[in-house]
Amino acid sequence: MRALAGGTELVPLMRDHLVEAEMLVELREVVPRGIEGTRIGAGTTLAELEVDPQIPKALREACRLAASPQIRSMGTIGGNLLQATRCWYWRLKFPCWLHGGERCLAKAGAHREHAVFGNERCASAHPSDPAAALVALGARLRTSERELAVEDLYRLPTDDDRATVTLGPGELILELDVPAPEASTYLKAMDRKAFSFPLVGVAAARTGGETRIALSGVAPIPWKLDSLDEATPLPGTAFKLEIARALVDRALAEVGA
Amino acid sequence: MARLIKTEKEVEGNYSETWVVVEEDALDQWPAGPLTTVGREATRVDGAERAGGEALYTADLTFPGMLHVAVLRSPYSRARVRSLDLAPALEASGVRGVLGPGDVDALTDEPGYVGAPVAAVAADTDVQARAAVESISVEWELEEPLVDPDEAVEQKAFLREPRRYERGDLDRALSEADVVVEAEYRTQVALHNCMEPHGAVCRWVGDTLEVYISTQFIWGVRSDVAEALGLPEDRVRVVCEFMGGGFGSKNGPREHTYVAAELAKRTGRAVRCFNDRREENLDAGNRNATIQRLVAGARADGTLTALGGEFVNAVGFRGFSASTSGPMQMLYACANVRTTEYGTKLNVPPNAAFRAPGFVEGTFGLECLLDELAAKLEVDPLELRRKNHADSDLLDDRPFSSKNLLDCYRRAEPHWERRHDVRARTEGPWKRGVGLASQIWYGGGGPPSYAWVRVGSDGRVTVVTAMQDIGTGTRTAMAQIAAEELGVPLERVRVELGDSARGPYASISAGSSTTPSMGPAVRAAAADAARQIVEIAAQRYDLEQRVLSLKDGNVVSANGGSWSLEEVTGLLEDGQILGKGARGPNPTGMRVLTFGVQVAEVAVDVETGEIRVERVAAIHDVGRIINPLGARSQIEGGIIQAVGYALTEQRIDDPATGIPLTRTLDAYKVPTIADVPEIVAEFIDVPDEHLTNLGSKGLGEPPIIPTAAAIANAIRDATGADVHSLPITREEMLRALREARERSRDEVAAPTT
Repeated sequence: MRALAGGTELVPLMRDHLVEAEMLVELREVVPRGIEGTRIGAGTTLAELEVDPQIPKALREACRLAASPQIRSMGTIGGNLLQATRCWYWRLKFPCWLHGGERCLAKAGAHREHAVFGNERCASAHPSDPAAALVALGARLRTSERELAVEDLYRLPTDDDRATVTLGPGELILELDVPAPEASTYLKAMDRKAFSFPLVGVAAARTGGETRIALSGVAPIPWKLDSLDEATPLPGTAFKLEIARALVDRALAEVGA
Repeated sequence: MARLIKTEKEVEGNYSETWVVVEEDALDQWPAGPLTTVGREATRVDGAERAGGEALYTADLTFPGMLHVAVLRSPYSRARVRSLDLAPALEASGVRGVLGPGDVDALTDEPGYVGAPVAAVAADTDVQARAAVESISVEWELEEPLVDPDEAVEQKAFLREPRRYERGDLDRALSEADVVVEAEYRTQVALHNCMEPHGAVCRWVGDTLEVYISTQFIWGVRSDVAEALGLPEDRVRVVCEFMGGGFGSKNGPREHTYVAAELAKRTGRAVRCFNDRREENLDAGNRNATIQRLVAGARADGTLTALGGEFVNAVGFRGFSASTSGPMQMLYACANVRTTEYGTKLNVPPNAAFRAPGFVEGTFGLECLLDELAAKLEVDPLELRRKNHADSDLLDDRPFSSKNLLDCYRRAEPHWERRHDVRARTEGPWKRGVGLASQIWYGGGGPPSYAWVRVGSDGRVTVVTAMQDIGTGTRTAMAQIAAEELGVPLERVRVELGDSARGPYASISAGSSTTPSMGPAVRAAAADAARQIVEIAAQRYDLEQRVLSLKDGNVVSANGGSWSLEEVTGLLEDGQILGKGARGPNPTGMRVLTFGVQVAEVAVDVETGEIRVERVAAIHDVGRIINPLGARSQIEGGIIQAVGYALTEQRIDDPATGIPLTRTLDAYKVPTIADVPEIVAEFIDVPDEHLTNLGSKGLGEPPIIPTAAAIANAIRDATGADVHSLPITREEMLRALREARERSRDEVAAPTT
C-alpha cells in the first residue's frame, strides 16, 4: 500500500517496478492543501507555491525552476520532498549499493549528474529543488507523528540502513512551516533551460544576520553547506563544484550576506 | 517514350548505378520566383486533421481482435542464450502466441548489444504481453563486450574495410604550409526520438499480408518483406497514411514488422508491435559517436592547401559507416586531401541514418577546425570560406548542376556584421559572440517515381501516388505543384498517398529526396491531365490547342475566350481525365548538391558554463522553393534538432559494459521550447536549371548540418575557448574555458623574442 498525492513521482516509479503496490491510498481528502501565512499544506502544488507572494523567494524560485508546468500543476510539495534519486543505475534497477548491493556503480561508471558531497557509499544526487530551498529557509515539517526540521527529514544512507529519509512506515507529511527570511533566493544550473533536474541548485536565506545555504543535486540528500572545501568530487563531477562556487557567490551577493 | 538508362542513384550520399526506365522530362521549367501557387506560402492541407487528432497514425490503429506484442530484449551488451524457457509465457493470461530465437531472423540467441530482440509475446492486451515477457526465464552466458572505438580500430573490428581517399600530396602540402592546425573532435551518440515510435501492425487478408507501418519508404518495406517471407511483391500491401517522424531511422521494416507478421500468421489475428519510449531509446537506431583527428594547412594569404583526417565511426553491432569525411573532401577547393574512415563494430546498439548521417558529425569537426585556422591566420572566417570556394566538384571534376553558395555567403553578411553589436552586449560573466559554418550535402533525388492525376467532371483534382508524408509537408507541396500546373486553386486539389495498393511507386523519403523525386512526377502527371483538358476544349470550342491554357480555374484562349474548368470537364459526366507522370533522369555528368551557411549568436556565462543560443540565421540554396512556409518549418525543425545535438542530447552508456543508461526523456535531453533560439530562414530560391522540370532540391537535411559548428565557433568568438566535443555540456564548456585561460597565461608568461 502506498500513499498517492500528485502521482508525478509514484506513477513512474511503479511503471519501472521500483515501487510495487497492490493498493494506492488517495491523500487529497486527508492532507491539507493551501497557504496560510508561514504554513503550507503538504498537498499544495508547486504551481500554487511559485506564484504566491507570501512564499519566500527561494521557495518560489525553486518551484518555478522545477520540472514542467504540467508536472508542477500535479506535484505536491510534500511529495516533492520524498523524491527518489535520478541516478540511472538506481532507476534501471542495477544491483547498486543503494539497492542493497555491494558498491555504488556510478562512482566507477557514468556519473556526470552525481554527487560531490556525502558520496562515500553512494554517489546519487538528490533531485529536489524545493528541498534545498526549505533547508536554507530553516523550514519545519509537521507529520502525522511529530514535528521536525526539514533538514532532519533526510539522512545519509549507511551500510545498515540505506534509506535517505527518516519517515516511519505510514508516517505522512501534513504541513510545512516556512519562516519568512529577510532575503532569500534559489539559483539553478541545469542542462537545458527548463524541465531538467538540477546539476547544482543553490538556495540562500538570510535571517537575523545569519545566512544559511543549501544545495540540491550535489549529494544523496539536500545538502546544508558549511564549506565547499569539504567536497569530495568524482572525476566526472568536479565541474559541479566550479558551478557551485559561482552560484554560491551570486546567491550570497543577492541576499546581501 | 519509355527509355532504359543507366543512372546514378544517390541516397544519403551512397551512390549506386542502376538501370531504370525513365520517361523523357519534356516540360520546360517554370520561370523563377513565386508563381500563382508554387512559391507562395501554403498552410498544411492536412494541418487541421493532424492538430485535431483526426489523422490516424500507425500507432493509433486498432483492428477487431488485434493482439499486442511485447519484446524480450537483451539486457547485456554481448551474451549467449544458454537456455530459454518460453513455457511460462505461453501459459500466461491472455497470451496467444510466442516467438523465440530463430522463429524469425530478427530474434537472436546471440545478442550483440543491449536491446537486441530475443523473444516476443502476443497477447490480448499490452499489459498482458509485458507481464508474459517478464515470466520468460533466460540463462545467459556473458561475454566480454567491445565498446571502445579506438580499441576496435586496433583490433581491426570493422563492419567494412577502412575507406581511404586521397588527392594531391598531403604530407608535402603540410610541410610547405605557412600555418598548420591540428585538433581532435568527438561527437556523441544521438537518438532520433521520433514522436511516433517505431512499429507496425500486420494482418493477413487471404494470402495477402497487410503491413501498416510508420515508415519513410512504403515500397522498400514492401520489397524487403516480400523477399524475407518469400511472397510475390503484390501480395504485400504497405500502408502509412500519417507518420510521426523518422529522420532516417524508419527506412526499413525492422523487427516489428517481421515479428508482427509471423504472429499474425500463427494467430490469425491483426498483431501490433510497437516500441515504447524506453525501447525507442535503446534500439531504434542512432547517430553514432565519432572521433575525428584532423589537420589543416594554409598559406599565409588564407589559401587552404592541406586537409587531413582520421575518422573513427563507432557504428555499433550493425549499421553503416556514414561518410563523416565527406565535408572534408567536398566543401573546399583544397588540392591536397587525405582521409581515412573506420567503421567500427562494437557491442552497442546499431546506428541508423539520422538526418544527414556523417555530414552532421564531419561538418562539426571540419568547420570548427577551419575557424581555428582562421584565428591562427588572423583571417575573417567568412573571408576564409569565400577564398576557398570550390567552383566544381573536386571528387571527380564534375561541374555542379547549380551552386549558389557565394550568394549564400553574400546574404549572410548582414547577419555576420551583427557580431560587433553582439560582442558589445557582453556584460558581467555573460560573453557574447557570433560564429558561422557552411553546409554541403546531397538532395537531388532521382528516378524512378510516379504519380497519377485524376480530374473529375466537377473540375476537382486528385493526385494519387503511393508515397509517404513523413511529417515534412509533402502532401501540401505536391498539391501546390498540381494546382499550379492545372491552374486551379489549391483547395481544389486532394493528395491520396500512403498505400502501395492504391497508387504507383514513389521514392523513399530520405536523403532530402522527396520533393526533388516526387515533385517532377506530380507536375508531369498534372501536365498530362492539362494537355487532355486542352484537347477536349479545343474540340468543343473549335480552337487550336496552342492558343489554350489553364488559368485561375478556367480554360483560357489567347483569342479572348474563357470557360470555367467545370464547364469543360463537365462534358465528361461520369468520365474522368487521367494523367500520368514520371520522374525524369538526373543531369548526366553533373554533381547535384545543396549548399548553405548558418550564422549563430551565443551568450556564454563563463563562470557557470551556461550557453544560450540566442539567434541562428540560416541561408540555404536548394533550388526552387515550393512552399516558403513549409520550407521555413524544415529550417526551424533542423536547427532545433541541431541545438539539441550541439548542447544537450547524448546517450550515456556505462563505460565498462556499454549498457545505455539514458532511456527516458528526462535523462536523454532534447531541447525544450525555452531552448529554441530566434531562427531566421532565408532561401536563394533559384531553380537548378539542369535538374528536372522543377529545379527543386531537397531541404530535409541541410539545415541540421552546420548548426553545431556555427554554435561552437560563436562560443570561440565570445570566449576564446575551443570546444572539442559534443554535446557542449557545462563540463566541456568549463574545460575549454580553463584551457583557454591556461593558454593565454602561457602566452603572457612566454618571453618575447
